[in-house]
Amino acid sequence: MTRPSGLAIYAIAYLVFLYLPVLFLPLFSFNDGTIVAFPIKGWTLEWYRQLGGQDALIGALMNSVIVGLLAATLATSMGLFAARAYVRYRFRGKKASEGLVMLPLVIPGIIVASSMLVLFISIGIKPSLTAITLGHTFLALPFAVSILKSAFDDFDPSLEEAAYDLGSGVVETFRRVTLPIVAPGIVASLLVTFTVSFDEFVLAFFLSGSETTLPVYIWSQIRFPAKLPNTLALGSLLLLASVALLVVAEFFRRRSAKSTFGGSK
Amino acid sequence: MTEQNIIQLRQIEKRFGKVVAVSKFDLDLRAGEFFSLLGPSGCGKTTALRMIAGFQEPTSGKIIIDGQDMDGIPANQRPTNMVFQSYAIFPHLNVGNNVAYGLRGKGISKAEIDTRVAQALEMVELGGLQSRGATELSGGQRQRVALARSLIMRPKVLLLDEPLSALDKKLREQMQFELRHLQQELGITFVMVTHDQYEAMTMSDRIGVMFEGRLVQVDAPPTLYAKPCNNEVASFIGEMNFFPAEVKAEHAESLTITTPCFGTMEIERNPNVATGGRAIEVGIRPEQLEISALEPEGYDATTQGTVRNVAFYGENVHYHVEVDGVKKPIAASVPNYFHTVDYRQGDTVWLGVQSASVIDLGQDQSKS
Ligand SMILES: Nc1ncnc2c1ncn2[C@@H]1O[C@H](COP(=O)(O)OP(=O)(O)O)[C@@H](O)[C@H]1O
Ligand SMILES: [Mg+2]
Repeated sequence: MTRPSGLAIYAIAYLVFLYLPVLFLPLFSFNDGTIVAFPIKGWTLEWYRQLGGQDALIGALMNSVIVGLLAATLATSMGLFAARAYVRYRFRGKKASEGLVMLPLVIPGIIVASSMLVLFISIGIKPSLTAITLGHTFLALPFAVSILKSAFDDFDPSLEEAAYDLGSGVVETFRRVTLPIVAPGIVASLLVTFTVSFDEFVLAFFLSGSETTLPVYIWSQIRFPAKLPNTLALGSLLLLASVALLVVAEFFRRRSAKSTFGGSK
Repeated sequence: MTEQNIIQLRQIEKRFGKVVAVSKFDLDLRAGEFFSLLGPSGCGKTTALRMIAGFQEPTSGKIIIDGQDMDGIPANQRPTNMVFQSYAIFPHLNVGNNVAYGLRGKGISKAEIDTRVAQALEMVELGGLQSRGATELSGGQRQRVALARSLIMRPKVLLLDEPLSALDKKLREQMQFELRHLQQELGITFVMVTHDQYEAMTMSDRIGVMFEGRLVQVDAPPTLYAKPCNNEVASFIGEMNFFPAEVKAEHAESLTITTPCFGTMEIERNPNVATGGRAIEVGIRPEQLEISALEPEGYDATTQGTVRNVAFYGENVHYHVEVDGVKKPIAASVPNYFHTVDYRQGDTVWLGVQSASVIDLGQDQSKS
């Protein structure tokens, strides 16, 4: 088999440069020494063991989980209605509002963060976990909308009409037909938006009050070399969790595409 | 009329912006009949059906079902049920739960629901398939589930939007028969939308023909075929040869006409057309023409021409015969008994027709 080998080399180099640094994280987290440099001194699980005893870290982790759950729930529920409207209806200003929802994907984080800080303070919301939750909801919304839009794309609108025709009201139709059919999309959206919030740093940094989220906490610890290996261990765990979540999310997204019939042909 | 009219449509109109999908629609449906709305794609059939179902509000006009004005009554409270073109089987429910959908949450006991589901599935010949997954069904089975799911609601009127168009030919023919049988057994009014004239003719008690949002003619299939109200209907249903004709004399029941190729004939007046004046159009179905090598005897009119084209259909053969004074070759269809008829391209042949087979189509549209 002959392939254009130049392209293959380029692709491999690309992947190596992209992912190698990420792999250093777990590698050094098992290193028996506080200095992050080769050669590896020896293998240890000590850094992982120490994680359990750090209360501030556990606190930050809990904050991140709570913020993530709230932001994911808020973004997904808003995204659900927005996505259904975008797929089902034609209305004035549809393009514009879709563009607006997707905007957080392209505005630099630092600009969003500083303007949110100004906005929240001006309407009386102090930097706090609440502020971070609201900010993360805003950032996660485009992810929720695009995942749920693809769930509704595969959804035959006559299913809802059939339910209505068989005597269900609007709410019952939503509960008995719409919701179960888009459920895999909802789960995928919850997982992805949770991950978006969980990993987010800039906004959380700007909007943190006395309590903060895990990424901001980790950043504050990186300045202390003695703490670095702990941070690496934690980072590795988070990396693993994020990848796992995204894999599960993708699984659900694909299942939602498969559970509807492939056309009537 | 002794039957009660189950559905009355009075001057229904539906506009989508500038598009008039349905206009000036007046129709009375009898209880227990199989009615088809027939028309080319885009003529407004689905829109008309959806207004009866309650999915679309008429822009103006009145819909009365079983004596009750449907204005303001939503789809989920109407005594109608619909079989959707896509069947709309709930993919997350199994067959049993699909069929039971409309009975749940209405205070009906589980035992009764189970019995009725079993009966409904029996009726559509899917007995015992309750636990089959919705995504594991074939096209024909999905349609049966959709039928059972609607019929279990015991609707006064069942609405079907192109119910057979997604099925392959064999299955479609079988389902035509079964649907008709089911309807007669249950005595429920069926209103079916279709663009397939054969489907409409084989299944219906009456057919309403639609063009561009208007209901043009409503009649039983044999009448529709024999006495179409104009050129449009005549060419949409079956095949038809058209001829210009001049009215020489008008009588109470008949017209004396002359045509360019068949000479003078006395034909029946068509009660479905308005009096057409002097220049009218007449039609002759291909199977009403006799074709022979010698001048056929015992026919009211004959003409001579040349075979231009032969099309073999199996059960019959179509000849296209060019005749002086007629623009388009005349189509004549002959049953293929024992291959006794066999003319070739270029053969000179005679065509014969009885005046009873010549259909008055009213004023000649091409001349006005
Ligand atoms: N929801 C709608 N919005 C705008 N135009 C529509 C809508 N539904 C139908 N139409 C238009 O109305 C006309 C009739 O459509 P339809 O009733 O679906 O025809 P048919 O079922 O006979 O093919 C078409 O021109 C179609 O484009
Ligand atoms: Mg249609």
